[in-house]
Amino acid sequence: MSEHQPATINDSDIRVPDGHAWNKLPAILGGVGLIGLAASFVLRGEHPEQFSFSYLVAFLYFLSIALGGLFFILINFASKAGWSISVRRVAENVMATLPLFVLLAVPLFLGFEHLYHHWLHASVEDVVVQGKKAWLNKSFFSVRTMVYVVIWALLGLFYYSRSVKQDQSGEPKLTEAMQNMSYPGIAIFAITTSFAAFDWIMSMDPHWYSTIYGVYFFAGCLIGIFATMILLTLLAKQSGLLKQAVNLEHFHDLGKLLFAFTVFWAYIAFSQFMLYWYGNIPEETAFFAKRWYVVHHEGTALINTFQTSSWATISVILGVGHFVVPFFFLMPRTIKRKPAFLAFGAIWMLAMHLVDIYWLVMPENPHMHGFHLTLLDLTTWVGVGGLFLGAFFWVARRQALVPLKDPRLPESLRFENF
Amino acid sequence: MVQSVEQIERVDRRVPLVLGGKSFHEVTEAIAAPIEGRTPKLWWIIFSAAVTLLGILVASTGYLFYEGTGIWGLNNPAGWGWAIVNFVFWVGIGHAGTLISAILFLFRQKWRTSINRFAEAMTLFAVACALLFPTIHVGRVWLLYYVFPIPNQMQMWPQFRSPLLWDVFAVTIYGTVSLLFWYVGLIPDLATMRDRAKSALGRMLYGFFSLGWRGSNRHWQHYEVAYLILAGLATPLVLSVHSIVSFDFATSVIPGWHTTIFPPYFVAGAIFSGFGMVLTLMIIARWAFKLEHIMTMRHLENMAKITLLTGTMVGYAYGIEFFIAWYSGNQFEQFTFISRMFGPYSWAYWTMVSCNVFIPQLLWFRKIRTNVKVLFVISIFVNIGMWFERFVIVATSLTRDFLPSSWAYYSPTIWDVAALVGSFGLFFTLFLLFLRFLPMIAVAEIKGVLPQANPHHGHTPHAEESHAGATPAPAEAKE
Repeated sequence: MSEHQPATINDSDIRVPDGHAWNKLPAILGGVGLIGLAASFVLRGEHPEQFSFSYLVAFLYFLSIALGGLFFILINFASKAGWSISVRRVAENVMATLPLFVLLAVPLFLGFEHLYHHWLHASVEDVVVQGKKAWLNKSFFSVRTMVYVVIWALLGLFYYSRSVKQDQSGEPKLTEAMQNMSYPGIAIFAITTSFAAFDWIMSMDPHWYSTIYGVYFFAGCLIGIFATMILLTLLAKQSGLLKQAVNLEHFHDLGKLLFAFTVFWAYIAFSQFMLYWYGNIPEETAFFAKRWYVVHHEGTALINTFQTSSWATISVILGVGHFVVPFFFLMPRTIKRKPAFLAFGAIWMLAMHLVDIYWLVMPENPHMHGFHLTLLDLTTWVGVGGLFLGAFFWVARRQALVPLKDPRLPESLRFENF
Repeated sequence: MVQSVEQIERVDRRVPLVLGGKSFHEVTEAIAAPIEGRTPKLWWIIFSAAVTLLGILVASTGYLFYEGTGIWGLNNPAGWGWAIVNFVFWVGIGHAGTLISAILFLFRQKWRTSINRFAEAMTLFAVACALLFPTIHVGRVWLLYYVFPIPNQMQMWPQFRSPLLWDVFAVTIYGTVSLLFWYVGLIPDLATMRDRAKSALGRMLYGFFSLGWRGSNRHWQHYEVAYLILAGLATPLVLSVHSIVSFDFATSVIPGWHTTIFPPYFVAGAIFSGFGMVLTLMIIARWAFKLEHIMTMRHLENMAKITLLTGTMVGYAYGIEFFIAWYSGNQFEQFTFISRMFGPYSWAYWTMVSCNVFIPQLLWFRKIRTNVKVLFVISIFVNIGMWFERFVIVATSLTRDFLPSSWAYYSPTIWDVAALVGSFGLFFTLFLLFLRFLPMIAVAEIKGVLPQANPHHGHTPHAEESHAGATPAPAEAKE
């Protein structure tokens, strides 16, 4: 990783050669994923409820990373960025897993009764939830779910296919086409991710609402993609790939973005928490009460015992681990320019992102009293994660690891932080 | 205006930021001309108008101090009126300056160098106007120091849990950092003005404020470090300021105010309104002072794009608020939003939506973005729309509270109007003085993005020149 890189790159640097260990990864990871999913389905027999919640966590976790990849691509084309071209393909490969999530969304329907029973079987007296029938009903909800994942898959394929096509032709018109799509693409992305977050996560408690919820989920997506990009790019370098194309400068910038969005996440999370804490209206504080106190349902009411539950520990870990620690750790320039430290920061943030998703979903499980991990948490995570990573490596070895004929690639190769 | 060929963006190369192939000296001359030349007639005309409006501000504020806030249109339940609307409006305007100077700097958007000085000056004067309103609205201005936590023998402290106190901290810190940021950037240019000054007074004043700048390597190193640190500090600050302003509303339990999206929504709206104002001012200034080759069409187009982006983000927030108001099942929340659209203030609501969401959608079209006249008109709409946004938020929620028997209609008096119009007088007076006495474009920074600033300028091998995207680094224009 010298400071000055040549403006040209060799083929061996950007293509997975025959016999390289990466060639085996799709089969291995995909196999592990399938075993994980199979084990989850076996366990589902006895614990259908736990399966539903665990699967939702795993699904959202890896989907959020893939969505982050889509957004990174959109914003790079919209801003006509030059620095990022040599790491862009890594994000594109993550984004290219989005069609997989159309399939992975199907098991969500198996858990429908458990995840959304609060509004599926709302009592007649529950006028608040009855008033939402037009939005929260099984058929419309299912249609929306499929619309979200299909739109993301199509956007992902739009970008992936054009970027790969440019590898052959080097046609600048393809860049223009991708630029032009990015502006409406960002709008579509914003609306679909917001409503997906409202539907899949927020509606588990149909009494609760927060206008910032979509932005909160979006912030998590970006944490996920920047940490993932750092790790996968470092892995490529460790495996003898991208030695010329990617250098410290790119890692430095990815580290800055990871740091910036750690702060952004904290800003959004704090806004939501502080305003509801300050307003102190029971129907709004319910969300945080569930994640701090022992609560139970009585009819439509949520009864707070004001006894601290084990969720409080997770809430503290989230606040400290997702913001305070990485804020100080990722701030110095030295950290972002030392691959080992940066990798540690990225792994930390990926772990915290998992805590975040888990913290959003699990306390809504009415049969779970306090925090405790189950085998299904592990098997669903390994299942979805194995397929996700298997798909990533399957895509990665089919094409060059860098968009090698992008008109702005030379700019990325010679870019330096001052 | 006809757009020149070199301005049209291309995928395979970055276009120059400054047009006309000017030399360093020509750039200095062009930027120093408005300061060193004779005062233009137009400047005097606008300046007299601005000072007249300032006079209105002074007179109406004098009467306000004498008579009290009863001269305003406040009533029960509308205890907050134009004072808070104007405060939020002016603070918001300032945000574009900090976005351009700090956030775009961190994102290495080199096109900002043509417009940052101008926009930062606007920030400072907007913050000055903003601070005016909380100051004069307290009734007993002579007790204003109560807002600061000053130790005293009465053991009286401000309420630290009040977002109004957070505002005091947020806005004063923001004003201070913005001033420092602006001033640090000005130092090399003040030295340029000192070296060019013909009068003794000019030499003395520019000399004093340029802090002995000699342009040595050491000076530049310190300068760059200071500038980067200030940019890093100003970036979270700009988000915090309008977030805290939004807390003024959102921490209450008033329907239409108490909603979690308020902080980022207010920040987006603030930047949107600020870009409206920068566009308005810059379109006039670049024409009046013949600086079209430095503040190019591309700068205007880029600003139009950010206006479109932030305007659409505001539209997203309106939409989400409206959806969640319905989704919440909270009848008070639902009533507030229906009443905004169809109630007594529907005229203000539809003005706001038209100006902030519908009209900026025209900026999707390049033909519109590159048409200076149309852009100017749109920027005026943005200014109007964002003032109305704050008015709608304040007036609709306050006048239709939980108790129908206390509902009322709020309308301003002549003194409310005088304060708002007068604040524009203050703003324009300060701004015109800035245009006349300080370089409105960062001379030193603009030279850094000229092609000849690149050490390889003129020595570029032919092979590299033809290579796609291989424009040498300092001349690059990030879009």
